[in-house]
Amino acid sequence: MNENLFASFTTPTMMGLPIVILIIMSPSIMFPSPNRLINNRLISIQQWLLQLTSKQMMSTHNNKGQTWTLMLMSLILFIGSTNLLGLLPHSFTPTTQLSMNLGMAIPLWAGTVLTGFRHKTKASLAHFLPQGTPTFLIPMLVIIETISLFIQPVALAVRLTANITAGHLLMHLIGGATLALMNISPTTSFITFITLVLLTILEFAVALIQAYVFTLLVSLYLHDNT
Amino acid sequence: MPQLDTSTWFITITSMTITLFIMFQLKLSKHSYPSNPELKPINTSMHTTPWESKWTKIYSPLSLPQQ
Repeated sequence: MNENLFASFTTPTMMGLPIVILIIMSPSIMFPSPNRLINNRLISIQQWLLQLTSKQMMSTHNNKGQTWTLMLMSLILFIGSTNLLGLLPHSFTPTTQLSMNLGMAIPLWAGTVLTGFRHKTKASLAHFLPQGTPTFLIPMLVIIETISLFIQPVALAVRLTANITAGHLLMHLIGGATLALMNISPTTSFITFITLVLLTILEFAVALIQAYVFTLLVSLYLHDNT
Repeated sequence: MPQLDTSTWFITITSMTITLFIMFQLKLSKHSYPSNPELKPINTSMHTTPWESKWTKIYSPLSLPQQ
């Protein structure tokens, strides 16, 4: 049973070949690159949405921070489209993989922190000690702040993994319960089915919100460091 | 938790890196956004025209009207 629950989170292989490469690359099919003078509806909507998001997210940054726009926008699109595609039945969701999320979080976080230390060394070092700390607490607090700095990428990755994994598990469990209750008590089964529908709607929202939260936090780290 | 099995981590991270850092960015960088229709100084907006560098009929002087 325990093996069964988590079976959908193992990276899929087909005849011993890792098809996870194709699965991770598949969302990019949804974003055709425009090569005409006048775009079609799909590309126009995507460009409008992207412009809206980038205006909303990047307007608080200064010029140096705004050079990250392409990176952050591709990040939010990648996570969002991967999450949404993963909600299709019987599909594998790459964002449930801790490895992939760590692989996204660590370089981006390191990029922001290194930018901070390169260009704003004093301000970055000042983050290690809050203002007005009593003298005897200083060594302790520096250690704590250092740990909290290094935990940031892990928290970023684990947040995404845990949210998506928990959502998929819940849908799996409630779906199984609905099926099992069908013969025993149709009324209870109907109630569980309603719960399942509501939960699915919530999962669609979570898929987009988590993409936004991940990008927003990277953007926040960038804002602290530029 | 099958996510903690590190044997598949390399291939996952590699394919993610290629997709996110190369494919998506190349696709998004091709997007173009129309600028606001406001008046701009003429000499700052340089148009790349294919006939600029070579001599074509467009550059030849207008024929004079028949006298």
